[in-house]
Amino acid sequence: MNRSNRLTATYAVPKSKENVVKRHLVTTIAGAAALALLTACGGGSSGQAAADGPQTIKVALWNYATTPEFKAIIDGFQQANPQIKVEPVDILADDYQQKVTTMLAGGDTTDVLTMKNVIDYARYGTRGQLLPMTDQAKALDPAKYSGLKSYELEGKYFALPYRQDFWVLYYNKTLLKQAGVPESKLQNLTWADYATLAKSLTKGDGQAKVYGTYQHTWRSVVQATAAAQSGGDLLGGNYGFFKDQYAMTLDLQKSGALLPWATAKSQKVSYNTMFSTGKAALMPMGTWYAATLLADTKAGKTKVDWGMAPLPQRAADGKTTTFGSPTAFAVNKNSKHADAAKKFVEWASGEAGATAVAKAGVTPSLQTQAILDTYFGLPGVPGDALAKKAFKPDTVVLEMPVGDKSSDVDQILTEEHELIMTGQKSLDDGLGEMSKRVKNEVG
Amino acid sequence: MTTPVSAPASGPVAAAVSAPRRPRRRSRTWVGWSFILPNFIGFAALTLVPVIASLALSFLDWDSYSTPRWVGLANFQRMIHNDTFWTALKNTAYYAVGHVPLTLCAALGFAVLLNQKLKAVRFFRTALFFPYITSLVAVAVVWNMLLSPDQGPVNQFLRAVGIDHPPGWTTSTTWAMPAVIVASVWRDLGYYMILYLAGLQTIPAELYEAAEVDGASGWQRFRYITVPSLRPTTFFVLIMLTISSFKVFDLIQVMTEGGPGRATLVLSQVIYREGIVQGRFGYSSAVSMVLFVIVLTITVIQFRLQRRSER
Repeated sequence: MNRSNRLTATYAVPKSKENVVKRHLVTTIAGAAALALLTACGGGSSGQAAADGPQTIKVALWNYATTPEFKAIIDGFQQANPQIKVEPVDILADDYQQKVTTMLAGGDTTDVLTMKNVIDYARYGTRGQLLPMTDQAKALDPAKYSGLKSYELEGKYFALPYRQDFWVLYYNKTLLKQAGVPESKLQNLTWADYATLAKSLTKGDGQAKVYGTYQHTWRSVVQATAAAQSGGDLLGGNYGFFKDQYAMTLDLQKSGALLPWATAKSQKVSYNTMFSTGKAALMPMGTWYAATLLADTKAGKTKVDWGMAPLPQRAADGKTTTFGSPTAFAVNKNSKHADAAKKFVEWASGEAGATAVAKAGVTPSLQTQAILDTYFGLPGVPGDALAKKAFKPDTVVLEMPVGDKSSDVDQILTEEHELIMTGQKSLDDGLGEMSKRVKNEVG
Repeated sequence: MTTPVSAPASGPVAAAVSAPRRPRRRSRTWVGWSFILPNFIGFAALTLVPVIASLALSFLDWDSYSTPRWVGLANFQRMIHNDTFWTALKNTAYYAVGHVPLTLCAALGFAVLLNQKLKAVRFFRTALFFPYITSLVAVAVVWNMLLSPDQGPVNQFLRAVGIDHPPGWTTSTTWAMPAVIVASVWRDLGYYMILYLAGLQTIPAELYEAAEVDGASGWQRFRYITVPSLRPTTFFVLIMLTISSFKVFDLIQVMTEGGPGRATLVLSQVIYREGIVQGRFGYSSAVSMVLFVIVLTITVIQFRLQRRSER
């Protein structure tokens, strides 16, 4: 009696019963939603893993819209393998490294990962986050595959390169002609010749000034060049071999033939603007820039008449040594479509992939005569003997050697490079400080 | 079963009075919790847990991928022997010593100026607040251009007034930090000026009137009425400024990236580089713990001083 009374007092209002029902409904819906979310996250597409049926593989890459070779590779591969669909996972280029690191740490199943640089590749490879492709790599001819060797990690390979960029000397044909310099002069340039030439090509004043050359603010322009051509070790901790290259660059800057580093840095000068608007007659830069020039010319953004010559050397012995870095595809260890993904990686690095890459105006890792012909057959590419020589360097040294200290050394070298180039430290002090810091802080 | 026998009449009454009381009190507690909860969940998930995790991480070696390894005080030992850490610590202190008083004085000065009945006062207030809401990247790029050593308007002006060798600003190890401080004062002063303006509105006009009757000069009124009345605002501004100075990251990252060399490298950049870029979360957490302790100590000291001066 009393109990029922109590019940009535507290609960027995018909409206509140409705509320209870409603509340239940909300909980149920929320629970169902949470469950759906969980299954969506965890389940994956294990059902699709059947080998024969149509499959979809995902490829992690960057700036899909402005990096034409990705589309060329994907389209070509899909045409050759109609049963496999390729879906690009577009990531902002600047965030790519961190994003992929996070994805791998979180057990993401994106099938193919583009290896933007060799240092990151080494990290993923040694952590066991990539599927080995040693057999496939061993089947390739290292003489034809520029950059393949960079992917060897203790006898194993976890990626196959599809692209190899290296540094050449771009020049403005119009400015050279105006100065009466024959292009053949660029065939066998030493750095001393380059400096003399740059000084003679400098003209004008103020806004109308044309610089003889432009060297971008990156430390590699000086340091990687010196290391590649003198055989110096960038991770070694003794940087005396930088000296000649720095002395030449500082002298060019002092003479006014080169835009001062401090100005370029503080104004965030774009090397493309410097060259494509005719503000600089010469410019050492990577082969990727040719693709930009081709695209900009096609879009009517620039009218510059440009050519490519081999990178200047320490000695005029006819051998060309330059530096660069390859780009590769690798298969994620968590991939649910490993076979299809491997097929993609192999296709991209093979003859068909290389042709597609070359057609996009980009330098493929595989270099055969047929592929070079494809590249030089593109409208707008300078097809003269000089450009063809520039495209066949004798040696391409890896821009930054792979090691667990690479990024720390890179930081120190960058900081001291700034101090030398802005004149905050004398060349000798700067080089001494580099060696000291690398030995103390990293070694 | 027993109650109906003992008190048949009072039973329902007692039930009606006493029984709901407890649930109501409980439900009030729940209502209270439910008000705090949304904020607390956000705070716990995004601040509290990471802070505690960071404390734990500072004793571990962890690259965000492999299993964390206990290393004891190794991270702190490495930090003590690391030249870059000390450089960054010195630079952070330099920045704070420049940024805090300059921003405070500028904000107070402009607030007093713009508290007068001037023409277009709203326009000037908005103009001064504008840098604070402008995209930081744009701010940094424009300041870099203004301060560019050869072609920048600042140096062109300095040359025009007869200074032959104007500073290299962001390209000089000596002048890079002053340049960054100037840019950051310019950016931040609008926000603190608004705080001071709000503070100024609360000072009763009678105080000034009385002082004027007593013949106090403008400076005396400022010194003996405005400044003391603004003490709570000043205290708040000081705390916020100190914390933000020690945490500074974005402006320096975009303007100089810590350069030239390490001339403007600050602690939060070391934390970012070591943690996010290099993936050494243990060491990076250790540095952030040091930064946390520094900011905490300074804030506690400021609170103590404030309490003492209130007495």
